[in-house]
This record gives sequence, C-alpha cells and structure tokens, in this order.
Amino acid sequence: MSTVERRGSSLYVKSLRLYFMNTDINYKRYLKLDLLPTPWCPGCGNGIVLKAVCQAFDELNLPKEGTVIVSGIGCAGRSAGFFDLDSVHTAHGRAIPVAEGIKYANDALTVVVLSGDGDLLGIGGNHLLHAIRRNTNITVVCYANEIYGMTGGQVSPLTPHNAKTVTSPLGNADFPIDVQSYFKNRNSYFARTTAFHLNHLKKSIVEALKFKGFSFVEARTMCIVNYGRRVGYKNSHEMLMHYKEFYKVSDDTEELSQNEIGILRHTAGL
Amino acid sequence: MPKQLLQGNQAIAMAAEVAGVKFFAGYPITPASEIIHEMVNKRHIKVLQMEDEIASINAVIGASLAGLKAMTATSGPGFSLMQESIGLAHIMEVPLVIVNVQRVGPSTGMPTLPAQGDIIQCKHGSHGDYFPIVFYPNSVAELYKYTVMAFNAAEESLSPVILLSDGYISHLYETIVPHRDFEVVKRTRPPLGTGNRHFTGLSHENSVVKTADADNYRRLIASLQEKQQLTAQRYNYYEYCACTKETDTLLISFGALSRVAYYFRNDFALYRPIRMYPLVEEIKTIAARYKRILMMEMNTGQYVHEIESILRREIQFIPILGGCIDLGEIKREIARVG
Repeated sequence: MSTVERRGSSLYVKSLRLYFMNTDINYKRYLKLDLLPTPWCPGCGNGIVLKAVCQAFDELNLPKEGTVIVSGIGCAGRSAGFFDLDSVHTAHGRAIPVAEGIKYANDALTVVVLSGDGDLLGIGGNHLLHAIRRNTNITVVCYANEIYGMTGGQVSPLTPHNAKTVTSPLGNADFPIDVQSYFKNRNSYFARTTAFHLNHLKKSIVEALKFKGFSFVEARTMCIVNYGRRVGYKNSHEMLMHYKEFYKVSDDTEELSQNEIGILRHTAGL
Repeated sequence: MPKQLLQGNQAIAMAAEVAGVKFFAGYPITPASEIIHEMVNKRHIKVLQMEDEIASINAVIGASLAGLKAMTATSGPGFSLMQESIGLAHIMEVPLVIVNVQRVGPSTGMPTLPAQGDIIQCKHGSHGDYFPIVFYPNSVAELYKYTVMAFNAAEESLSPVILLSDGYISHLYETIVPHRDFEVVKRTRPPLGTGNRHFTGLSHENSVVKTADADNYRRLIASLQEKQQLTAQRYNYYEYCACTKETDTLLISFGALSRVAYYFRNDFALYRPIRMYPLVEEIKTIAARYKRILMMEMNTGQYVHEIESILRREIQFIPILGGCIDLGEIKREIARVG
C-alpha cells in the first residue's frame, strides 16, 4: 500500500486521532503553553526531556495541585517556568536543598528537580551527595548535555575526556564523573537514558517518580550550538544518531558500562 | 509566668517556638550551635542538619515556600556563605529569619569571641539592591522579644529578616520571664502545591520571567523597597537615655558593647539602635540636640558610616577590636578622642 493510500484510509486517520487524543494532547495540561517558545536553541535536546517529564506526569496522572517543580540555573534551569504548576527557580546549584526543604516541610507534595549537569554535579555536587545520604524522597531529572551551554560552552562535570570546548581548547584533560557510583550501597534509584530513546526516557522518569526515596535520572541531551559543533557533529540529528548507535539498553543490572543506558535500583540498608 | 535562667541562644530557640516556627535547618558553628541543640528537642519543629550553610538557607527557603515558618542560625563564616541565597529570598519574597551570632573575623578569626563585623554585610552582602530588616538586641530578654518580632516582620514584609547577636550576648545567662502573649503574625500566602505560581530569582512580573525589561525591573525593585520601608515603620525600635546631667555628647553603641555604655549614663546621653536596618529616622532629631557624637563598635568602623551619612556630620569613632571589652580601655579611648 502506498503512503498516499494509507493517509487516505479511515483506519489510519482513526489511529492518528486516537494517538493524539490519548497520548499527545494530555501531557500539555502540565505546561503554560502561552509562554512558549522556550529560550533554547534550535536543535537543543532539552525540549525532548521536558516533554518526557510531562508525559511521565500524565502517565501517572499526577494532580497539578500537589506537584512542585524546582530548578537550578542554566539552560535546563529555565524549564521550571514553563510548568503550569507551582515552581521554584533557585540559585545556581541549589535546586536540591530547596527541594529537600519543600519535601520535609510537606511530605504530601511530589517534588521534582529539573536541572543540568553543571548545576547538579558541579556547583551543587555536594548537595547531591548529601541528598543521596539523607535519601530524601524527591526525583531529580538531570539534563546531561555535557557542557555549560548557557554561558557559552565551557567544560562541565560530564564533558568527555579529550573533548574540545572553549575552556579546553586542547581537549578536556579530566575524565567525566561516573554518576552511578554515587548511588552504590545506598537505597537509591539511578537511571541513565538519552533523548533518543524516548520510551526508555519516559519509563525512567515514571519509575523514578514511583520510587520511594531519592531517585536520579541522568538524561543525555544534545547541545549542538555550544558543544556538538565544536567536537565534530554537523547537526543535532547526528548527535541523536550517535545516541542511537552508541547506547544499548541494559535495565536492572548491577552497574552500567559507558555505552549502556538503563535503570539501577539499589536497596542497601532496607 | 515563672522566671527562668536562660542562655541567649536558648532564648532565641524558645521565642522561635512562640513565634510559630515549624522548620529549622542549620549547620554547626561556634557560637551559634546551641540554637540547633535546642531546636532538635522541640516537639513540633522539623530540624535538618544540612551539609553546609548554603544548603541550610536554601532548605529554609524551600520549607518557607511550602508553608512553614522557617529559620536558620549561623555565625559570620556561615553568614558569608548564605549571601547569594539571601538575595534570592529577597527577590522571591520568601519570609524567613536568619540568626547571625557574630564572632571575630575575617575568616575563621577568633571563633569564641564576640565582634560586630557583619553589620555592613547584612545590608550589602548579596549582589544587587535589596532592603533587609535587621534587629540587634543586647540582652537575653531582648533576644527573646526580638526573635518574635523578627518573625512577625518577616511575615509582614515577605522577606528574610536578620536577627543579629554576638558571641557575648548569645552565651550570656540572664533571668527572664519568657511570656507567650505576643501577637503573632500568621502566614497569608498559600503554600506551594496549590497553584501555578513561578518563584524565580530572575526579574519577573506575575510569575512571568522578564530578563530584558528595564521598566519592569525598576517597578519590581521600587515595590520591594517600599514594602520593606512600610513594614519597618511598624518596628521602630531604639533606646535613648537622656543624661541626668547637662551634656553635649551623645554616645552611640549597640549589641554587647551597649551594655558597657550604660556605665557612662551619668556622663553622656546614650543612643542604641535596635532596628539596625533600615535606619531609625529618630536619630536625626536626637542627634540634633548634641554638639558631639561619639560612637563605639566592635569593628573598624561600619555602622558609623551609616549614621554619618544619615546625619551628614562628623562622628568621633572608637573601635573595640579583638573580642575584648575592657572598661578601662574604653575610658582611655574616650578621653583620647575627646
């Protein structure tokens, strides 16, 4: 059957309509659509993660009242303002302690932190370690774009070894943080996923929201403007295709190797 | 109400409970640690010992937005760490109380000894313009009273209010009557999770971020300033003792040092600001009666410039440094500048 015929068939139209009615429309109720577009560059992956977060909310049917978004500073930090929920846009690196304050003050709230790798692992790294230690029941979604995008593309805690950035013109001398190692021997949830693996991304966030205790989702997203183009990618699509080829799904293992994405649940001390 | 022998820091914790505090986050530091020690033993107060003072103030901001009256307590080094988030709390309009028990600085300095070196930091510590309300009592009874006042001012102004103390007053034991019949201002803003507001450190208007709108920024800052001034007017606290004898000298001091100044009440008129910021306007009329103004502080000259700028006249200044308050030395210094 040719494409033209398929488009014309009532079954296809019906299924399209069903698809949009059931999945694609409902998640938008969590967003302030009149504030769009976002300030993110063309080709940025942040929007994909933002959508996945909303879809995860939708899948769990989280009530708007009782859900709070907290974000830090940077590209990813701007996500909070687009939610049609109460949201807090904190100082650089301080999203986690603010979220902890909110959660300890009112345990009934679902508190979700959305921020970047520079914010959560760099300036706010200490807070992350101690939030894991306290096992505060919050969900952190890290937009891991491997760069400080908003400030022009400097080395971040997740920038790969030898990658060229504006502050490492000869290649990054250091190795990136292996975030999953923070979670060993703790009652915790850690997921690594990418902006390409949409279903896995959504599933990771859904499972993180369901998890009782501290949960962290490291979502690899692409930054073409301040990172990708300097390390040899022609466009954002190439970066997505790299995720597709490089990462293999490996859920519920003990440890993820460099090219694996998946969900790790540690239940030490329970 | 029976009398009680209380330490300054204990009085702060007791008064906080009276004011309705439900959340405390802090980090151990001399000489403010007794406040968190007291707090953990209170039944209806959630206490978090955080990993540093930055986390403490941010957890307090979160808890306050989530609907609880919240506070933190620290000393100079921790207060320096908190500065960025104090600015954030001002622009997000988060009511909270920060107790700063001052010690000798800069840096680690002399941790167990009192100083008054954080006065300017209260006003200008964070970047940008903001207009804090600051109280500085000088006795255990006053610490008790002004802790409640600080919470009330915070709720009325929707801003972080700073309660200054120092290593001397906070570790002082005095007998006070810890009465509970204060008028306590209740929280008016609905807590987080009940709407679609966006609290942000960016310049904003009605939950919408406006990063390049100069007019909006000017309106925002002007409204914050006006709100702080209006609230401060209701907390016009200062102490003035006209001298029993004829004198042409006014001696200004505050905090621990003002307790020593009482020794000179038969020689000079005494003035003590309790609301440090915004400055109490009455100082203008009081100072107009005196030819000479003498001021002592436990720093090399911080609040003296504020008083000079509001009075537009010269003030003789006596620095008392190193956490050592010695009456003989103060007498000699007064004789020297006089």
